[in-house]
Formats: sequence, structure tokens, C-alpha cells
Amino acid sequence: MHRVVLFRKNFIMADANIEFKGSSFTLSVLHLRTSILADIRADLAKKVAQAPDFFCLVPLVVSIERLTCAIDYQAIKTLVEEFNFIFVGFTGYVEKEQRKLIREQGFSFVNMAKVKVAQKVAIAQETAVTETKKIAASPQGHLYTDKVHRGQIRSGQQVYAKDQNLVVIGSVSAGAEVIADGNIHVYGSLRGRAIAGATGHHKAQIYCQNLEAELVSINGNYWLSESMEQHWGDPVYIHLTDSELTSSKLI
Amino acid sequence: MARIIVVTSGKGGVGKTTSSAAIGIGLALKGHKVVLIDFDIGLRNLDLIMGCERRVVYDFVNVINGEATLNQALIKDKRVKSLSILPASQTRDKDALNKENVGKVLEELGKSYDFIVCDSPAGIEAGAMMALYYADEAIVTTNPEVSSVRDSDRILGMLASRSRRAELGLEPIKEHLLLTRYSPKRVEEGEMLSVEDVEEILSIPLLGVIPESQAVLKASNAGEPVILDTESDAGKAYQDVIERLLGETVEFRFLNVEKKSILSRLFGG
Repeated sequence: MHRVVLFRKNFIMADANIEFKGSSFTLSVLHLRTSILADIRADLAKKVAQAPDFFCLVPLVVSIERLTCAIDYQAIKTLVEEFNFIFVGFTGYVEKEQRKLIREQGFSFVNMAKVKVAQKVAIAQETAVTETKKIAASPQGHLYTDKVHRGQIRSGQQVYAKDQNLVVIGSVSAGAEVIADGNIHVYGSLRGRAIAGATGHHKAQIYCQNLEAELVSINGNYWLSESMEQHWGDPVYIHLTDSELTSSKLI
Repeated sequence: MARIIVVTSGKGGVGKTTSSAAIGIGLALKGHKVVLIDFDIGLRNLDLIMGCERRVVYDFVNVINGEATLNQALIKDKRVKSLSILPASQTRDKDALNKENVGKVLEELGKSYDFIVCDSPAGIEAGAMMALYYADEAIVTTNPEVSSVRDSDRILGMLASRSRRAELGLEPIKEHLLLTRYSPKRVEEGEMLSVEDVEEILSIPLLGVIPESQAVLKASNAGEPVILDTESDAGKAYQDVIERLLGETVEFRFLNVEKKSILSRLFGG
């Protein structure tokens, strides 16, 4: 039950005392190139010695993507905890079976680019959660301010809202391009290209009053016009569910 | 202060020169002092449409280079006294113009004329940028088809970012939409974009709609701007454009297919 709740983004429980919400965080990922513990330990020791305070209590996800031989998951977890990291889980593009195996051994598996932390971790590693929340509250988190553009964006023009949301009060013409690291709002027709979450923000959304775009993209996932037939000409917003774009009518 | 009006489009062949000529003569016929400048260096056309190609001695580039005075280069129109034409050079290319000298020429002309109408070359290169740089107003000539509309949109972006007014942060160039070669019949059949479609995409005020007309080609070949053909639909539509440019409110004509009466159908009229 819990798991379903946690996986639904922006779902707020009706409970008065607690609420579950999905959020995205910047987490450190340790990429392993070997599964030989002694080698990992030596490299980690060297790295941590450079800045012990910086690494202390940092939530850490371990990527096993590059490993091909057998892995002792428990040993890796113990090893990173020795260096005062808060172990969150494993990640990487791996086979389904391996993911299942990891979960069966009692470890969470974090899907790449989806910031889905399994429910077990959320409960068992409470410290990790509070730690990551601190990170979200920092300016490096996704608290974007707005860049407001008044007037039409014409063919050939490009507007980029770096580290910001982009609000266009007017239409975006065919052949024009609007890009934002955050969300894009178009109070007019969107006929050109709109690229939201440009530097990797999978919760970015695109809102417009009339969808006739050449291309929309969120965090690298894109649609060409032909994929927008369902809501062509409608007021819609476009968002990512898992790694697929979805459009929903605004009204 | 003279009003500097650029007639521009982005796309070629949509009717910039035809419109420049018509608007120049139209304004002059209303008693204003008008000078028409051909910015299409290397592809001189305005003098042909105006029917003064055999009277060109010096041209715009000569004036820019100081090889001739403005008075030597300006050609007085034989039909309307208050109209002059500054022809382009046919032998040079568009790099022959530079901002500073063009500015000086326009300033000089501004002293003695009410309207300076600049006929822009097609494209978005140096020549077109030069024509629009000093403009106070722009007449964006557009055909009711998608590529022309897209190019006009691009030019509108340039007007808002590359002109002198944009660079100095002055009041932006006043934009007008002039829809040419409009055929209500083809719009009805769904083959052509409608006035509403184009207005919606470009979202600038409509100055005029010139219907597709046989009279235009005839007028061009004869060197008699179509506005002088007061019987033709195109000529009448250009006259409406002049009224609107001068601040009058005139109802739009020729937007719908004319319904033929039974009599005219019977007699093949």
C-alpha cells in the first residue's frame, strides 16, 4: 500500500498528521568500476581524505551498471557506511532479475533519472530522507524563479530561461524556440518548439493555451507534432510520467 | 519629421515593390511629399514598376559614395509632382550600403519630404536589415500561404530586435500587415489561408487586403502603378490602404466571394 502511495507523484494523503509527496533531489552517485572491495576501499579512502567534512553523512546511491561479475551487495553497503555515507540504494541500468535480486536481499533499487526511492528506504533510512530534504531546500534544488517574456516570440527567435521557469505572455510562433530549465507557460498558442527541464529536471511541465507545437521536450523526452494529435489545438499541459510524456487538458 | 516606412516581407515575390510603388503614388496623390527608395541593390526593379527606368542617371550607391548629390540622383515622377524616386544601383551589390551613410541620406531626405518609403529586398541579410534599420513603421507584405507567413514572422522578429529603434530602446517600429494576392474564392475552397488565419498567426494590425488581380501584372509591365487603375479591385484596395495609413477608418473590401446576380450570370458578366 505504502509503496503505491509513494510512487504517485504529488499525491497528498488525506491524513491530517502526515503526508506523502513525491519530490526530486540531487543525490550523489558512486559509480563502481570494480567489485573488488579492497580496491574500492582504497579509492574511497583517498577521495574522502581530500574533504572529510564534505562527504560526511552524504546520502549515496551506488551505481553497479558497469559491473559484470558477482557483487556482494551487503559488503558494499557496509563499506560506504564505514566512510560515513548514508547508503540509499543501488542504481544503474541492469536486468530485471538483478533488480529483483537486490530487492530480495533487502536493499532498495533506485531507478535512473526517475528519483524513485523505494518505500523500504524511506522508512528504514529516515536519516537519509531528512538529509536529502535539506539538499532540496538549498538554492541548487528546483526552486525556480520566473522569467517573464511579454509579447510574441517570432520565428527564428530563441528564448532561454536559465535556472528559471519561462512565462510567455503571447504566442510562440512556428520556427521559434523556448527553452527553460524549469517549467514553460505559454499564455497563447504554442506553435514552435518548447524544451522544459533542459538541464535535467524530470518534473518540469509545459503549459499552453493552444497546443500546435513542432516539438515539446521534457528532460530529454520529446514529442513531434504527430504525437500531439489527441490534444491538438487544445489548452493542455504536458508532463512526464516515468519516462513517457503525457498531455492532459487544462480545462 | 518624415515618416520612414519600410515595405518588407522576408520572402521574395510577394508584392513588396508593387506595394511600395502604389503606396508612394497614393500618398503623393493625397498631397504629401514622398520619396521612394529602392534598397534592392543589384536587382533594381522599382524604377521599372514606376516607369522611369530610362531616366536613371545616378543611383543610391552613387549618393552613398559621394559621387553624386541627392538632387542629381532623385527622379521626379512625371505623373505626381510631389513624388521622387531614388533608384538602386544595378551593377553593385548589397554590401555597397553602410549604416552611417544611409542614415545621413535619410536624414537629408527627411528635411524636405513627409514620407520616405523604403522598398526592401527579400531575405534577411544585410540588404534587408539596412532597409528596415531606420524605419519608424513597417508594412509587412504577406501572401496568404504558409511559407510567406513564416517568413513575415521572422522579419517581425528582426524589426523588434535589429532596428535602430530596438537598439536604442525607443518606441518599437509600428507594424502593419498587408495581405496581397488574396483570393476569397480559394479561401472558401480551403486552398488558401484566410485573413483571420494570418492575423491570428502574426497578430499585428491589418492595414489592407489586396485581392489577386489581373490588373497588377498589366500595371507592372506598363510601368503604371496599379493604384492609378481606379477601376480595378487591386487599385481600390490600395487606395483604402492609403486612407488607413493616414489615420482614416475604412471598411475592408474584397474579402468575400462576389455573388453574381441572375442577370449577370445570364449575360455572362
